[in-house]
Amino acid sequence: MLTDLTENPTCIECGLCREVCPVFQTQRQEEYSPRGRAILGYAGLQTLVFYQCTLCRACRAICPVEHDPSGETLRAGLISAGIETEANQLMIANIRTYGNPFGPLAEGELPKTLTCC
Amino acid sequence: MISLEALFQPGQVSKREETMVVYSRDASRIQGPCQGVVWPETVNDVVRLAQWAAETGIDLVPRGAGTGLCGGATPQNSVVVDSSRLRQIGAGEIQSKKVMVDAGVPLDLLNRTLRQDGLFLPVVPGSHRSATIGGMIATNAAGLHAVRYGRMSNWVEEVVLVDGKGEVHQLTADDRKASLGREGITGMIVQATLHLTEIPEIRSLTLFTFENLEEMLKQVEELKTNPALSALEYLNPLAAALVGWTARHSVLAEFHGAEGKIRDSAGMANLWGARESLSARLTQAGFPISEDPQFPPDALEESIDWLTTQRIPTFGHLGVGILHPRFLQNDARIAELYRRVSVSGGQISGEHGMGLKKRQWASESFQADVQALKTQFDPYNIFNRGKQC
Repeated sequence: MLTDLTENPTCIECGLCREVCPVFQTQRQEEYSPRGRAILGYAGLQTLVFYQCTLCRACRAICPVEHDPSGETLRAGLISAGIETEANQLMIANIRTYGNPFGPLAEGELPKTLTCC
Repeated sequence: MISLEALFQPGQVSKREETMVVYSRDASRIQGPCQGVVWPETVNDVVRLAQWAAETGIDLVPRGAGTGLCGGATPQNSVVVDSSRLRQIGAGEIQSKKVMVDAGVPLDLLNRTLRQDGLFLPVVPGSHRSATIGGMIATNAAGLHAVRYGRMSNWVEEVVLVDGKGEVHQLTADDRKASLGREGITGMIVQATLHLTEIPEIRSLTLFTFENLEEMLKQVEELKTNPALSALEYLNPLAAALVGWTARHSVLAEFHGAEGKIRDSAGMANLWGARESLSARLTQAGFPISEDPQFPPDALEESIDWLTTQRIPTFGHLGVGILHPRFLQNDARIAELYRRVSVSGGQISGEHGMGLKKRQWASESFQADVQALKTQFDPYNIFNRGKQC
């Protein structure tokens, strides 16, 4: 059942990035680590997991080959494939319709919800 | 038959495609099919999982940080058991220099926590930022300071292991051999009690370089008699050039004391940084296959000479005879390397373990040891099936 060694051309998959990633520190699941995102990206999966990234780039700072498995590039691929989170869609619709990400607001009214990706 | 999902809370089991893709491989990049992943949060979770596997016959693959280089955590139609939520560090017994930790605690996290008490666990593999205590015990890790501090076996007092029958063992003294270096074939390591030592007050480094290999090995033997020596790292000319050093046989010696030539923290960080970047640089440079033979002292000259003549970039923990030659993919010279290890009376696995990658090189006596341990601890063969041999 064993498949042969396969090389990821960008990430060497050493896993040294796990412990500096704030998302991995919360989730403790490999798919939410920078290495996990790099493996998923290389495998060609289009997944909302790519939004589980703070874009802090702590992974790049620690990476011995300066790979940057941050969400920006991977998310760009999602957008191209028409995949977005509902929150992201709502935020963009609000900006287009109301000129702000919060939705309709009366004069002086403070927003009650904040949608974000 | 109860399903895996019914055994645990929803967040403790995943069979999502994303999960199974990333857990299908470890840092070895050897890949196999994953049936699902479980994140136990207690020892009892592991016990219930082992009992379930014994009933269903499904293979369980214990996993630490997935930094192993031999496919020890690669599934083969298996359920992966990730220790990353077993992460408690007990109150240290400062007077007796001991601490009890969960298997999923990363080494650097442990040592940061212990720093306030002036103590640390001195076994430092190259993957120290992420490597877990459980994984380090399972591979009997050695690492950068092995010449002074030895291996994990020198620092583990007790190991708590859940075996293939779902029974919990507290392994002490000679019984520890059922877990140390056994790569999860006897069960899952869930906790350990570790010995600690004082953080050295002063460190210093000297970088020695040599044209002549024989001369270098004479100097190494002399250095090994120095009681202050705490690391003795070797780079052959090809490896040295890759980190920007002169392309000669190079030895980085660390001392617990001021006798090294480089004493400022920035200078030392620069040299250690270069050394620690080497593995990744070699992978990036097209030498992804890392081996870890351990040669006896009298075989080092011939072995290093052969590796360098073959233009195989090599570094390693020279003080204990562990070398890390780096190969191209499918490099036929790996077989020749292990033939030389066998002839010299060395060890096939100095510190990485056997995993899937090296099981073909397992000796008959090693296979007999594995079989005996399997019979005792894992009679249903549910833990890390087919690993080591």
